[in-house]
Amino acid sequence: MNIRFHRQKKSKQDHIGVSRRMFLMTTAMAGVTTSAMLGSATRSLAAPLDAGQDATLLRMVQDIYPHPELLEVSHYEGIAATVITNAEADVATAKDLRDGLARIDAQAEALFGTPYTEIADPDAREGVLRKFQHDGFFQGVRWTAYFAIYNNVDVWPLFGYQGSSVEYGGYIDRGFSDITFVPQGPTLEERMAAVKG
Amino acid sequence: MTEFEKTDDSVVVIIGSGAGGGTVANELAKKGIKSVVLEAGKRLDSSDMENDEWTMFQKISWLDKRYSAGGWHGSVNHPNLPAWIVKGYGGSTVHWAGVALRFKEFEFKTRSTYGAVEGANVEDWPVSLEEMTPWYEKAEMKMGVTGKTTGMPHLPWNNGFRVLAEGCRRTGRTDYNSGPMAINSVENDDRPACQQIGFCMQGCAIGAKWSTMVTELPRAEDSGLSEIRTDAMALKIEHDASGKVTGVLYADAEGNQHLQKARVVCVAGNSIESPRLLLNSASEMFPDGLANSSGQVGKNYMCHTSTGIYAVMPEKVHMFRGTSVAGIVGDDVKHEPARGFNGGYYLEFLSLGLPFMGAFLEPGNTGWGRSFSRAMEQYDHMSGVWALGEDLAQEQNGVTLHGSEMDQHGLPVPIVAKTPHNNDHAMTAHMVESTSQIYESVGATDIYELPPYPASHNMGTNRMHADADKGVVNAYGQSHDIDNLFVSDGSQFTSSGACNPTLTIVALAIRQAEYIAQEMNAQNI
Repeated sequence: MNIRFHRQKKSKQDHIGVSRRMFLMTTAMAGVTTSAMLGSATRSLAAPLDAGQDATLLRMVQDIYPHPELLEVSHYEGIAATVITNAEADVATAKDLRDGLARIDAQAEALFGTPYTEIADPDAREGVLRKFQHDGFFQGVRWTAYFAIYNNVDVWPLFGYQGSSVEYGGYIDRGFSDITFVPQGPTLEERMAAVKG
Repeated sequence: MTEFEKTDDSVVVIIGSGAGGGTVANELAKKGIKSVVLEAGKRLDSSDMENDEWTMFQKISWLDKRYSAGGWHGSVNHPNLPAWIVKGYGGSTVHWAGVALRFKEFEFKTRSTYGAVEGANVEDWPVSLEEMTPWYEKAEMKMGVTGKTTGMPHLPWNNGFRVLAEGCRRTGRTDYNSGPMAINSVENDDRPACQQIGFCMQGCAIGAKWSTMVTELPRAEDSGLSEIRTDAMALKIEHDASGKVTGVLYADAEGNQHLQKARVVCVAGNSIESPRLLLNSASEMFPDGLANSSGQVGKNYMCHTSTGIYAVMPEKVHMFRGTSVAGIVGDDVKHEPARGFNGGYYLEFLSLGLPFMGAFLEPGNTGWGRSFSRAMEQYDHMSGVWALGEDLAQEQNGVTLHGSEMDQHGLPVPIVAKTPHNNDHAMTAHMVESTSQIYESVGATDIYELPPYPASHNMGTNRMHADADKGVVNAYGQSHDIDNLFVSDGSQFTSSGACNPTLTIVALAIRQAEYIAQEMNAQNI
């Protein structure tokens, strides 16, 4: 991705209060994330991780796809719980994850003299993670987060995406041509005339 | 449904059921000629088509093992997905977006127009636009292409295209419209009008978009003269001592092998599988593979010079509402060497859903973080294009067979190599600059440039040439070496042109079916 004209927004606090809309969304959240979230209270960040690593993982998930204004923390907790559930099923995956999180903290200590979660600047935290982005454990966490956010029909409305339309008769009567900041397209009569002769 | 005996050596065996194979089958049936179509994938129909990007990707894509190679980013970021094409009844016409453009005259005459290009293998087609025009018209009538040939109006303009079109108007462009598309703007040919559902490339759920899945294949079957055998993976084309092809060995869903005898064989498996099959059919008589005396089988792989460009607009666009490719800009389809590259390009409005935007905005390991996430939050303000232009043939780009790794059928896994030519870099820069100017004129704030997607337009690996030393097939797709062996898909393209290949594949297939019928009647094959 090359960005030609990117206006950097000012960094914002990544933890943000619960938006009402997101609260409604998460209670309806389907599939793997729901079960993972429900389970997370009791089974929270258990066996596969060492002490303190649950917070590192949660911060990591938030820094991979930071949407502080759209998603609430509980959604990221659900993703972290899914990562852990997957690790519980496989000893090698669990070890990779545990070792990887330890390396993230070691890198943070080496560069900033603090654990990863205590680095205040989000760009600096991203910089720490970039060192590990080609590692298997990182990409495992990243793709789990990708599917839980961008391929999640319950999250789509927060991004303005409406998804499947065939069951509603398409978008032909649901705003396929409703914007007002550019002119209308040609009318049917104009389009008919354009293909004659 | 008619079933032909495997020992029936009077049939034409067609390998692949997409734009080329499906069309040849139906056209031959109309002439009373029997065929067996071997389709590697499963049976599909409109009820299989769901409005979900990843669900459909998993359901219809060709996902058998392949390697990406060469200098393009996909050899790292899409290591096993060099191409984004379909395995199933209807082939890649299930996935195509419906853009039905003709080649320009100069695009059939690239060698004459461009001269020799260093590092490229540019040649003229043995056919001209004048010769192809009546076949294009037949293809447009068959497919219900909007425009003057059919009199069907172009589709209504959706939000995303209206933004692009207004930018074109403000920057002085004149060639932009919502067609020609092989998507019904009105009821036509027993298919309904488009309901602006979107998800065209996930397979049209109502059959408003032309595909062989909804037209050619069922009609060929209904004629009683064609059998479409699905889950039938062609393994090897067999020949006799005279060098004529005699049948096709294939594997069924259980992996059992069968030999279907044939009078004529048409290879239409798309530009990776078609040359792979010819190479895998090597024999004592043809040690370099069938139809390969020129050495050009598997070479000159072209897939369009392309990039995705998405602009963030000041207000919401909701680009996903309506047809996926909703408009085409043709102002830059011209050969103008002063621009610093050969050939031209189209800008085609193309919507992605949120999942695919998340996957293709920055493919590979690096597509995450704050910039990425901010871009995703701008999704509902985006309009964008897929820019596609002439990709020059290069011998180094092509399909080869893996030296040791075999697929589930015991055949060597294909390696698909693609390294961009300097022409591609110059053209891509021009595409991005033009598109940026268009969108900036309407107030775009951020513009994102995406690297090429895994190719859906695959061409050139069994190319046509008047000279048997420089190409695999003649102007009718008939192999120079073996009279009863034909290539019926986009692999016969001599050059890529700038436009989407399907209309030309269909036009060539209609023309080829006529030629096959004539040659069979004359007992020449």
